[in-house]
Amino acid sequence: MSTAVKTQAGQISADARPASGAWAAEARTDAASRLAAMGLPTRRDEYWKWTRPDSLISAAPATAEVFDNQGEPLVFHEIDRLKLVFVDGVFDADASDDLEGEGLEIERLSTASEKDIHWAKDLYGVLETAGQTPVQSPLAVYNSAMATDGVVVRVTGKPTRPVSLIYRHEDSASDVILHHVIKVEEGATLTLLENGAAAARFNQVTEVDVAKGAEFHHVRAQGRDHDRQAITHIFARVDAEATFKSFTMTVNGKLTRNECVIDIIGDDAVAHIAGAALGDGAENEFHHDDTVFITHDAVACESRQVFKKVLKNGAKGVFQGKILVKPDAQKTDGYQKSQSLLLDDDASFQAKPELEIYADDVICSHGSTTGAIDEEALFYLRSRGVPTPIATDLLVLAFLADAIEEIEDEDIAAEVTGRLDAWLTRRRG
Amino acid sequence: MAGVDELIAKEGVEEETVEAVKSLAGAYKYGWETEIEMEYAPKGVNPDIVRLISEKNDEPEWMTEWRLEAFARWEKLEEPSWALLNYPEIDFQDQYYYARPKSMEEKPKSLDEVDPKLLATYEKLGIPLKEQMILAGVEGAEDMPAEGRKVAVDAVFDSVSVGTTFQAELKKAGVIFCSISEAIKEHPELVKKYLGSVVPVSDNYYATLNSAVFSDGSFVYIPPNTRCPMELSTYFRINAENTGQFERTLIIADKGSYVSYLEGCTAPQRDTAQLHAAVVEIIIEEDAEVKYSTVQNWFPGDEEGKGGIYNFVTKRADCRGDRSKVMWTQVETGSAVTWKYPSCILRGAESQGEFYSIAITNNYQQADTGTKMVHLGRDTKSRIVSKGISAGKAQNTYRGLVSMHPKAKNSRNYTQCDSLLIGDKCGAHTVPYIEVKNNSSRVEHEATTSKVDEEQMFYCRQRGMDEEEAVALIVNGFAKEVLQALPMEFAMEAQQLVAISLEGSVG
Amino acid sequence: MLKINNLHVKLEEEDKRILKGVDLEVPAGKVHAIMGPNGSGKSTLSYVLSGRDGYEVTEGDATLDGEELLDMEPEERAAAGLFLAFQYPVEIPGVGNMTFLRTAVNAQRKARGEEEMSAADFLKFVRAKAKDLKIDADMLKRPVNVGFSGGEKKRNEILQMAMLEPKMCILDETDSGLDVDAMKLVSEGVNALRDEGRSFLVITHYQRLLDHIKPDVVHIMAAGRIVKSGGPELALEVENNGYADILAEIDA
Repeated sequence: MSTAVKTQAGQISADARPASGAWAAEARTDAASRLAAMGLPTRRDEYWKWTRPDSLISAAPATAEVFDNQGEPLVFHEIDRLKLVFVDGVFDADASDDLEGEGLEIERLSTASEKDIHWAKDLYGVLETAGQTPVQSPLAVYNSAMATDGVVVRVTGKPTRPVSLIYRHEDSASDVILHHVIKVEEGATLTLLENGAAAARFNQVTEVDVAKGAEFHHVRAQGRDHDRQAITHIFARVDAEATFKSFTMTVNGKLTRNECVIDIIGDDAVAHIAGAALGDGAENEFHHDDTVFITHDAVACESRQVFKKVLKNGAKGVFQGKILVKPDAQKTDGYQKSQSLLLDDDASFQAKPELEIYADDVICSHGSTTGAIDEEALFYLRSRGVPTPIATDLLVLAFLADAIEEIEDEDIAAEVTGRLDAWLTRRRG
Repeated sequence: MAGVDELIAKEGVEEETVEAVKSLAGAYKYGWETEIEMEYAPKGVNPDIVRLISEKNDEPEWMTEWRLEAFARWEKLEEPSWALLNYPEIDFQDQYYYARPKSMEEKPKSLDEVDPKLLATYEKLGIPLKEQMILAGVEGAEDMPAEGRKVAVDAVFDSVSVGTTFQAELKKAGVIFCSISEAIKEHPELVKKYLGSVVPVSDNYYATLNSAVFSDGSFVYIPPNTRCPMELSTYFRINAENTGQFERTLIIADKGSYVSYLEGCTAPQRDTAQLHAAVVEIIIEEDAEVKYSTVQNWFPGDEEGKGGIYNFVTKRADCRGDRSKVMWTQVETGSAVTWKYPSCILRGAESQGEFYSIAITNNYQQADTGTKMVHLGRDTKSRIVSKGISAGKAQNTYRGLVSMHPKAKNSRNYTQCDSLLIGDKCGAHTVPYIEVKNNSSRVEHEATTSKVDEEQMFYCRQRGMDEEEAVALIVNGFAKEVLQALPMEFAMEAQQLVAISLEGSVG
Repeated sequence: MLKINNLHVKLEEEDKRILKGVDLEVPAGKVHAIMGPNGSGKSTLSYVLSGRDGYEVTEGDATLDGEELLDMEPEERAAAGLFLAFQYPVEIPGVGNMTFLRTAVNAQRKARGEEEMSAADFLKFVRAKAKDLKIDADMLKRPVNVGFSGGEKKRNEILQMAMLEPKMCILDETDSGLDVDAMKLVSEGVNALRDEGRSFLVITHYQRLLDHIKPDVVHIMAAGRIVKSGGPELALEVENNGYADILAEIDA
């Protein structure tokens, strides 16, 4: 099959794909030809009008200074977990725990893809392909063709410890493409944690298959590297009576776009996705984009989208979210909330909260608000003796609380709140 | 150059056909046709047709040039496809762009000279072309002044204005209310200054086409510090077959003035779709206020989705002056396809824009409608209340933009978009765009989609209403906030329209 | 008037039997009361008779003046003269109470082949009836039941009953959520409508409503059946001893 990719000079291309075994090579070739047909994103694309794709599709990334967190322990350090470490996109076995756990099968993608047969064949690039409707994600297709590493995880039981992916950034020019495949089998449960700076430029795809009655909990921390340019994609398929929950905390980062495409295919399933982002454009640009599509294709399912952004000093926030209810997805309960707090006059927020509904027995709604901090609440706190900067931060944390509440595990939620508080406190000086 | 000689007269349609069409009309009350001798420009559009329309209207050279320039731009544009609308490709060369009753060749000097058949048409539509009071209806009669209210009417029939009532009385108040073709001749300085200043010639595909081929429409000028002594209205009737209507409306509210303007539209029932592409421009100066209400009841196509009007409309109000105010209210029940986004440019400080909309789609109707609120000035306010009702196999989309520019400090927007679904074969969609570029402004957007509440239905039926009555009652309640924004005589008509539009949607 | 014969009903969506053979006859001009513990099927009976969705009649029938009720649409039952005063009257935002009443009155007149009432006549009619129930003009203008207090909602139900002049009135727990004064007002409204051509079926949990609306016959319902019938004294027995004694007596 001819898979010549027509890319312009100076842009990324899917020509030189990593060597792989039979199943993976086929998936990569398929992705490369899909990308050729689709082309890379441009600013003329409806879902790229508010976020410039240029720096994500240039042949080489802009260099990014390795962030010095001055010895502060990384997020989640107190939580007992199975640690898997990637340094500039390469799995570091020495720094990681053993690839084994109760009720779990874990492999590196690079190992799995060398084999001729592997269970991941049914998911790798498959959920990503399905997720190309209603809206195309060319950079995810590019990832399927080009990903060099990642993890493939199969969960058959209820492991007590979360699986924790830690991304280290050491090379100021690293251009990393990771692809994870996670299969949570019927009735099984997995908590997945992610944190770390990862790379100068980071393209990530996570395909998650949540089988009947299974549960998948995901908590991700992005930050505090300033120069980061990241595009991440989650493609989830959620079957009957299953639960999918994902939360992302983002601080700093020149450009972060988190895409999430969730297909609810079984009755009585639940899918929640939430995000809290804090952006200060003072040290570097801050541009944060959440692009979320939830498709209801089954009866009596519930979906929630809760996204909060706090922006200042020219920080820019984007939210694009859609609830699509297919004709027979009766008794759908869908809710979408996107709110931004603009702390000064240079910050901006753009939102497109969409509903597309083809079934009548549904309750779907969205709410979006944008504005400054509540002056009355601020005054109330000040009148009780709280100085303005502290009062402001209190109100910021209160504003983010809805999103953080979407994290089910209380310890992890407390950790996230603590980190956000610390970020605010540092900035207060 | 195509001359007047090339005009072809088309004989009136056979009586039998008219009767057959009438019997098909079903719920659509205005589906009948006036049998009248018409003259048409040759089919299609090209620079010669543009010149011919200009010549027919006896226009000055600058107007002809303006049109030709628009046509040249239109040829380079592509028809937009971003709306959630799905209709067969329109052959823009298979339409008549100019059709007028033969009797209108010599413009009648007064309404008394107008062809009785045309007058009868408007009478049948319930549009008063005599200078009389509109008598109060029953509901809410106590709120009407005892002597009734006056409404001045400009009646547009296919490509021409048939006549305008109360012109003399309005003139005494300094108000100019006439057809746009008359304004181009009589008030060229105003037309030159304002035409295309809100909707530029190249604004969008349909507006550009309209700029080239518009044949008539209404013109309103309210002088400074004048409250228009009566409501003004234009009634658009498409009668001729295979004919597009391209009207142009220009309203100028000078400093400190006020006017309420109403617009109504109907068309005969036909198997083939017909094109309507209008442009409305409103200029509002300091402290002035304009209320613009529309009851759009173009033929929606039949139960099988055959025929109907394709309605592509560009409406925009420019609140230029400080403290200026515009309020759009629309009840969209007709048309097979609706593409319409009445917008507000809030340029003046403390200016205000409001948009109230009910869009009902039934059978195979499709509507993609909403508004744009562009906040440019400080302390500007906008409010959007949109109620979409979708039944049968229809698709109904709210599409809107709220934009707060960096200089629009301390501005506010509140948007409420609610959709109601009746039956499981239709769709309801919401596509809002929100852009906020300063932090002293506040934008709030809420949207809901649900079906008609079963408890409410049962309650109404237990009290003896049948399903259709119950649905009409509940839908009217759902749309109450918008109905209340309409002038009273329109509100009553609109309430009935809601019920008629939803006929056959349940059971 | 109302005749119910061996009525068996289950929930449409699940396999749950609620009524298990109800037999009841309410003659013209009589007031019958149904009492019973929670979950005995009292409200279900009122819903099934008025034609609400979600129930499946598996056996038996019900007639109103000989006409088979269960085959009719809810609005046909209403036009036939059946009225249900809801335990929880439904709120309909945006629809004025007056508009609602007029639509209902005229719909029923039309269904019965009578002429619709003119706006002026209707206004006179409704104002007179409203005055009796101490319903002020403001309540008539507000949207149906929206923001009404518990007492206002129940008075509004009785106003509708007065306007629609039904033959057979079912009052489903009309006393719930009412204080003493409101209950008196509502009861007076009902008593004013008592007439030899009109029957009432009063469903209640407590005896106190029956102090105000004196029943001719009292039925006790339990586990989906009428287990005991008697005169007004039966209600007093329940009031004094609770349902336990009666139920025990039947089980025995």
